Amino acid sequence: MLKKIEILADAAKYDVSCSSSGSSRSNQKGGLGNAASCGICHSFTEDGRCISLLKILFSNICIYDCAYCVNRKTNDIPRAAFKVEELVDLTVSFYRRNYIEGLFLSSGVMVSPDFTMERLIAVARSLRQEHQFNGYIHMKAIPGASQDLIEEAGLYADRLSVNIEIPSEGNLKLLAPEKDFPSVLNPMSQIANRIISNKEERKKYRKAPRFVPAGQSTQLIVGASPERDFDILKLASELYNGKNLKRVYYSGYVPVNTSDSRLPVLQRPPLVRENRLYQADWLMRFYQFGYDEILDDRHDTLDMNMDPKLAWALRNPHFFPVDLNYAPYEMILRIPGIGVRSARLIVANRKWGKISFLHLRRMGVALNRAKYFILCRELPEKGYKLQPEQVKRKLVKSNENIGVQLSLFE
Amino acid sequence: MFEIRLQYDGTFDGFLSLVFYAFENKTEPKEIAKPANVSQDLFSEVIEVETHTAKAERVWKGLVNKSSLKNARLISVAFMSELPGIEVLLWRYLKKVFTFPQKDFYQNMLDEDVYQVVQTARKVKKEVHRFHGFVRFQQTADNIWFAPIEPDHDIIPLLVPHFKNRYSGQPWVIYDTRRKYGIYYDTESVSEVFIEYPALDLNTGRLSEKAKGSHEDDYLHLWQQYYNSINIQLRENKKQMTRLMPRRYWKYLPERNR
Ligand code: SF4
Repeated sequence: MLKKIEILADAAKYDVSCSSSGSSRSNQKGGLGNAASCGICHSFTEDGRCISLLKILFSNICIYDCAYCVNRKTNDIPRAAFKVEELVDLTVSFYRRNYIEGLFLSSGVMVSPDFTMERLIAVARSLRQEHQFNGYIHMKAIPGASQDLIEEAGLYADRLSVNIEIPSEGNLKLLAPEKDFPSVLNPMSQIANRIISNKEERKKYRKAPRFVPAGQSTQLIVGASPERDFDILKLASELYNGKNLKRVYYSGYVPVNTSDSRLPVLQRPPLVRENRLYQADWLMRFYQFGYDEILDDRHDTLDMNMDPKLAWALRNPHFFPVDLNYAPYEMILRIPGIGVRSARLIVANRKWGKISFLHLRRMGVALNRAKYFILCRELPEKGYKLQPEQVKRKLVKSNENIGVQLSLFE
Repeated sequence: MFEIRLQYDGTFDGFLSLVFYAFENKTEPKEIAKPANVSQDLFSEVIEVETHTAKAERVWKGLVNKSSLKNARLISVAFMSELPGIEVLLWRYLKKVFTFPQKDFYQNMLDEDVYQVVQTARKVKKEVHRFHGFVRFQQTADNIWFAPIEPDHDIIPLLVPHFKNRYSGQPWVIYDTRRKYGIYYDTESVSEVFIEYPALDLNTGRLSEKAKGSHEDDYLHLWQQYYNSINIQLRENKKQMTRLMPRRYWKYLPERNR
């Protein structure tokens, strides 16, 4: 069992989606567990990532040969597979000890997509039906699995995900010859439509079983293929709007197969780029930015020296300064150095008096950045014009955060 | 001038009784503390205020009326911080909330005291959230799930709802080894427990050989193995790890303290 965990956790670790949020499943009398609606981290690994779910592969045996993947069939590595009961027992035992929030189950493709999907479903079914397990279950929908199986998986899982991995169809075909966009996008659409129809059903019959209450997510590998940041954000935005995805994860390519000539040679995974993409993603999800505001065809690459919000502000000096005493929430949200919580606090508290530096600092505003973009008690000057070049020199020089992964993981 | 120091039994009810007393007698306490902590000097008088549940109840109701239930709860959370000076801060805060005409004054973050109280409560809530994850249960030989903790703030009461809900079918104890008390949940209701000599190693939190269930070590090793295997060495970022999971919590986390 130790050996299996070593192999199958190791093989699962490059999948970055670890969040367990977005679902609330209450416990029933005599049942085990519940799903909390805000993600709980049970531990943190030495790479600084949160352990929330038991993230593991059912098996790392795979009949496919994706270039970017450790588990591809042409790699000579130790292989293992769980028995359904073993994995169920492991999940329940870890959960009872409060090591984990639930299970994140994926797998290499054994025999066929359907064969694999059936094994994953057997684990989830046993957890839910035999063990009354109400913890969080995130399951991978194996590309190519039949619609019926995906439907059944959705009845047990809180979240389903189909990973796109390579952000454009051409490169996906090049790197993963057995896969194509339809094999990923079709199950994604099926899940998206089912989530909508399930909501309707539940309006009519409150007892109708829930279908993936925490929605679906996907992962894009960054840096294994030459797509531009602009293409990646555009794709993400289409997934959020068109397919109603809850999360898109970005995973800086970890060079696991160094000898493959289709892949770039990297010393370290592109962590800064990955982080900038997460920041841009946050701007789209929480700061009301469109992907085409963050980048466009002329500026198609995220600046590695500053976060995308600052970059946007410096490209749009006419927007500033913003008067904190009067400006609407949406405008305050666009100021570099001001987050969602700070913006809310500013709007809620300005009726009590003029907002000062001290107040701003206490509300969590990063004044060293924000001060160039705002009017407040200490900065009443109406004639102020933002000088992007000057500000850039000041802010980018003092930015020592490069290379450090910022804390944008939920 | 003569200064007044007020002394109470350390409970939240005791503190609310004290607030009642201070209002009634128009006292302006220089210090509010538990008997063990109160300072004595020639220029001050120490008054011991008794705990009256009925008076505490009146202050609580008044607070709910003057602000909101949510806010009243926030005050009790800030109280659990046990930070030095928290009682005097809360006293100043309550005086403002009760005397200012605006009903939403308690939301005025531009006010120094409101800010400090909200900030303190946030600290405590943050620790509660962390411990929803960092609590580690071990199965005992008599089938109770036992978890030792040593949080900065007195958060055990705030942990109960979450764990009662999550592990409704398994009897558990969460035990604060520094404050030396715990909560026992017997699958029906919860009660406070005091354990004279808990059967555990206080450096690791592990149950003694005699006390622990027969599979405990197996699952512990599987967990440690999992913890190691899921790490990506190429992405090493220990600073980030310790920021999110500070060293002072490692003692009872078997994946860090081996
Ligand atoms: S199908 Fe999945 S497990 Fe198999 S090689 Fe491709 S990415 Fe790896």
